[in-house]
Amino acid sequence: MSQKSARAQRSNVVRTQRAANLKPFYIGLVVVAIVGIALIAWSAQHSDASRPSIANVAATPLKAQGHLLGNPNAPVQILEFADFGCPHCAEFATITEPDVRKRIVETGLASYRYFDFPLGNFPNSVHASNAAACAGDQNKFWEMHDKLFEGQPDWSDESNPKGVFETYAKALGLDMKAWDACYDSQKHLPEIDADHEEGVRRHVESTPTFVIGTKQIPGAIPYDMLKAYVDTAAMAAKTATPNNSAPAKGKSGTP
Amino acid sequence: MIIAVLALVGALVALYLTLFKVGVIRELVCNVGSCERVNTSRWAMFFGVPVAAWGLATYLALLVLALVPVQRAALERALAWLLVAVSGWSVLFSAWLTSKELFVIHAICIWCVTSATIMTLIFFASLLELARVRRAERAERFDARATVQPAASGGASMPGEPHG
Repeated sequence: MSQKSARAQRSNVVRTQRAANLKPFYIGLVVVAIVGIALIAWSAQHSDASRPSIANVAATPLKAQGHLLGNPNAPVQILEFADFGCPHCAEFATITEPDVRKRIVETGLASYRYFDFPLGNFPNSVHASNAAACAGDQNKFWEMHDKLFEGQPDWSDESNPKGVFETYAKALGLDMKAWDACYDSQKHLPEIDADHEEGVRRHVESTPTFVIGTKQIPGAIPYDMLKAYVDTAAMAAKTATPNNSAPAKGKSGTP
Repeated sequence: MIIAVLALVGALVALYLTLFKVGVIRELVCNVGSCERVNTSRWAMFFGVPVAAWGLATYLALLVLALVPVQRAALERALAWLLVAVSGWSVLFSAWLTSKELFVIHAICIWCVTSATIMTLIFFASLLELARVRRAERAERFDARATVQPAASGGASMPGEPHG
């Protein structure tokens, strides 16, 4: 047998031995993978379970105005508590809300009232609420609302987001002098605080949270679910005795 | 072996963050820092794909590279260089993301920091692996030149075993 073939034979023996020695390593690797995936699955279930659940709530007269869209005398009121900096609110506003406006609000099935509920997790939320309220002075709250949610990543991390808000205000054709003076004066802060208080009074814990009839629903719910709640509330409104607790007057607008 | 273990743990962390990003997991376990703020910022996407998904793909690639059995020394060296290149690029990318967390978003995501640490460890382990492969090659060349008796290979590993 040549020296070369002897060396190759030795290499094969060593390789086979090493492969056998690696068996526990491969088993360990599979165990780590299984344990990791199990932990992730547990976390997914746990995070769902820890979500606030849908609550039955009594009809409570509003103390804050919020921002009204649609017919204030519609048979059903949809209240939304949201934070302009919250990504789930942006998800709802950009994906679901256009359908809600077109098929529920514009058809008169329900009115829609937006309440600022800054959670405190996002540094520019109150500035955004202020920018939207100032646009509301020129009847462009909902247009600014849409721009703020659509462009959320552009301003949410800025140290001074006013520059981005100004581009939105200009694009909406606002009187910039008036908008600028309003923004700097922060004159709408008491209303933003009142909106927040309304949410606190109703035990809102996360955003977005919706109140439809006697249900308080947390999360960016899909259109079909929201419509089902509106239909249920409409049925209840038809059969209920007339309610004399008139809704608070809000700043109405059309998007 | 250590690269494979680190890549697997990194892949699990990236999978966790990816599932959050696509909405399967609603809330991250995040006792330190602000994971949600970081993972919903504009820096959490890269070319329209969640950064966590890029990380998952990279860790899985590293895992495969670390486990693939090779029979030829030249291929072993090429794979070692590939491990160094992929992990080196990923360390630079992680450093860029961490700088965004610190100086732009002003929030730290503990899972992202964990991933950056794992990738850095993989990079150093890959450098060690490359050094080992080159040492083994030198020993083999020396072995081949020996005429009387083949030299003992010492700690050099044989082609055919997993990297790392």
